[in-house]
Amino acid sequence: MSAILKTDQLRVEFASREFRGTTTTALVGLNLEVQAGEVYGFLGPNGAGKTTTINALLGFVPPTSGTAHLFGIDVRQPIARQRIGYLPELTYYYKFLTAEELLRFYARIFGLSRAESDRRIEKLLKLVELEPVRNRPIKSYSKGMQQRVGLAQALINDPDLLILDEPTSGLDPLGRMKVREIIRRLKDEGKTVFFSSHELGEVETVCDRVAIIHRGELKASGRVADIVQPRHQNLEHAFLETIGYPIP
Amino acid sequence: MKTLFALARLTLTELYRRKDFYVLFILTAVVTLAAGSVNFFNDEKIIRYVKDLCLLLIWISTLLISVVTAARQIPAECEARTIFSLLAKPVTRGQVLLGKFLGCWLAVGLALLMFYAFFAIVTGSHEHRWPLGGYLQAIWLQWVMLGIVIAMSLLGSIHFAAPSSTSTICFVLVAGIVVVGPHLNTIALQQPQPLQTIAYTVYFLIPHLEWFDVRDRLVYGWASPAWQDIALASVYGAAYAGVFLLLAWLGFRRKSLNPG
Amino acid sequence: MNASPRLFLALVLTICVTLATSLAPRATAWSSRVQSDTVLGMLFGDGRKLFASQFFTMADVYFHSGYYPGIFDRKGKEIHIEEATHDSAGGEAEEMGDFRGPPRDWIEAFGRRFLISEHRHLQHGDEREILPWLKLAADLDPQMIDTYTVGSYWLRQHLRQPLQAEAFLREGLRNNPDSYEILFELGRLYEENLEDPDRARNVWELALRRWQQQPPEAQKENRLGYEEITLHLARLEEKAGNWADALRWLQAAQTMSPAPENLQRQIDALREKLADPASKLLP
Repeated sequence: MSAILKTDQLRVEFASREFRGTTTTALVGLNLEVQAGEVYGFLGPNGAGKTTTINALLGFVPPTSGTAHLFGIDVRQPIARQRIGYLPELTYYYKFLTAEELLRFYARIFGLSRAESDRRIEKLLKLVELEPVRNRPIKSYSKGMQQRVGLAQALINDPDLLILDEPTSGLDPLGRMKVREIIRRLKDEGKTVFFSSHELGEVETVCDRVAIIHRGELKASGRVADIVQPRHQNLEHAFLETIGYPIP
Repeated sequence: MKTLFALARLTLTELYRRKDFYVLFILTAVVTLAAGSVNFFNDEKIIRYVKDLCLLLIWISTLLISVVTAARQIPAECEARTIFSLLAKPVTRGQVLLGKFLGCWLAVGLALLMFYAFFAIVTGSHEHRWPLGGYLQAIWLQWVMLGIVIAMSLLGSIHFAAPSSTSTICFVLVAGIVVVGPHLNTIALQQPQPLQTIAYTVYFLIPHLEWFDVRDRLVYGWASPAWQDIALASVYGAAYAGVFLLLAWLGFRRKSLNPG
Repeated sequence: MNASPRLFLALVLTICVTLATSLAPRATAWSSRVQSDTVLGMLFGDGRKLFASQFFTMADVYFHSGYYPGIFDRKGKEIHIEEATHDSAGGEAEEMGDFRGPPRDWIEAFGRRFLISEHRHLQHGDEREILPWLKLAADLDPQMIDTYTVGSYWLRQHLRQPLQAEAFLREGLRNNPDSYEILFELGRLYEENLEDPDRARNVWELALRRWQQQPPEAQKENRLGYEEITLHLARLEEKAGNWADALRWLQAAQTMSPAPENLQRQIDALREKLADPASKLLP
């Protein structure tokens, strides 16, 4: 099976904002491999490097060294992003548009035909349960609705790989459940989902495999069951132990 | 090209859903009509000052729309984080910039058409003549000039985080270029070295926006400039807009977009 | 808070009524202030004189159809509208013709293709276009006497609106009761346009008294004004056949004239008429 998402010794350094001339290392030789059709959880505490990894995968941040590939194409090439969908964390979509117009805009970016756009918009609005409010401006949406419209835009091109950055962040339990449900449905459709989170409960229930990152370094990766060994009660225990947090 | 038009369409939608344009249009209309309704010495044929005032308001309004709309495009995308959704699609930063430019330019072009239609109605109803050729030239030249201003504002917005700083700097620059720019060569001659060389260099470097201002010809009823001069000025305008966009792209390409 | 809209409306209405009652006396005071001080004046504040002067220049720019030197232009020559009123395009056109001088570089040369590069005066009634600027200048600076005299000149001589000219001059006179210039222009209006020599005489005589009320330094500076008034009075009396009065005014003009010898010839001619008993019968 070929890897859909792959990083090889990925290292990212930033110029320090506080001290001129010094650098901060955000990622240290990160190696990741996500296979087609799996839901891959990317775990780590705040500031561990999850978002930086995603930014490097999407070409927002240039790697200092190492490589990142999507579908075997270097991420620096825009074509590498043709078959992916991305949901950024806490995004406030164009508030002067309605959900339908937003999806149509992204459909145009992908050069979809009018008929194809209509078909996909209908399907996605149903999927994210925003059909009744499709013609309401986004500025009137709740946080959960905004997150779902974000999910819909990430799916507009019917991507083979979905990258979600903290998709349930800031949502109420109902909102989280809906997002989890959507992820499950996408998995059933054979999509590959790579998502970062620190909500361990949802990772445990949704993911096939997980990776744990701490201070830019990969600490563990594998099937959830392999990481949660018999000596751990659950994924939370395993996670805390992996990142070196003293467990009482 | 589809990507560019999709981005341009988004900017257009933003302009006509925001209140800026309507406020400025209504303000221009109200001031012009109020000025036109004033009776000076019982002479109802007086119209030039109304034309002058209306064209001045059109200039200021469209400049305001161009600068403010262009200056907020990229910072607003970054602030709302929509830039990440956008760049995660098969879109390059150059396309984003070009699409934004195209959108702002088309939007301000539409605004210009509406403003000039109003101007033509007001003056035509007084003068009973419609010099459409002259109006078209004036619209075109102003549109080209606004293209330079939009490109300049986009360049500014890459370097200054706050749209308000970009807008203020662009306004000051445009006002300086229009008022002092054409006379920098005269000023240079009166300066000692090295100020003379500096003033001359600035004179040759700045875009001469005053070329695109043919308001006086419309107000005083002079013949329009020759079409070949307008074509040359358009090429000059396109070159400057291109240079500003290129500089903006070079800055934007390297700009760190780390949302984390 | 879940306040009822009616309650809110009632509150707003109460505030409005209270404000209206308490502000009414102040508003009356303000309205009288507005009458004495124009809206434009209040808008521009202390900078009004500057704007008035700029508007007066704008009238001149309009008169020259936009072909006008700016502060950066090489010769910086400003051809004033009042000069143009007395001197037709001729010599002025030559001076205005090249106020920019030859272009220094290709930018300037090309830029001139978009600028107005011909000198043309407003004519055939288009002179009316300068009037709004003069009126605005007068509103902003009521003490700017040239505004009234220039405005009146165009209204009565070129736009055939002597009554409007009279009203404008009267407005100027209300704001500048000591101005001999306005009285002189008013006299010309009565004499040349309304054909009322008696009123013209009265007004010019009043103008002369105003001139004489000036301090000596001002009188020295405005000798031309005295000469103009007395000469016009002399012409008026001559037309009316009052040779003795005409002679008196000419002699008065001679005392201030820069070319008294020219006036001497006219004085001699009048003396001859006075000496000839037959000419006394002529009007």
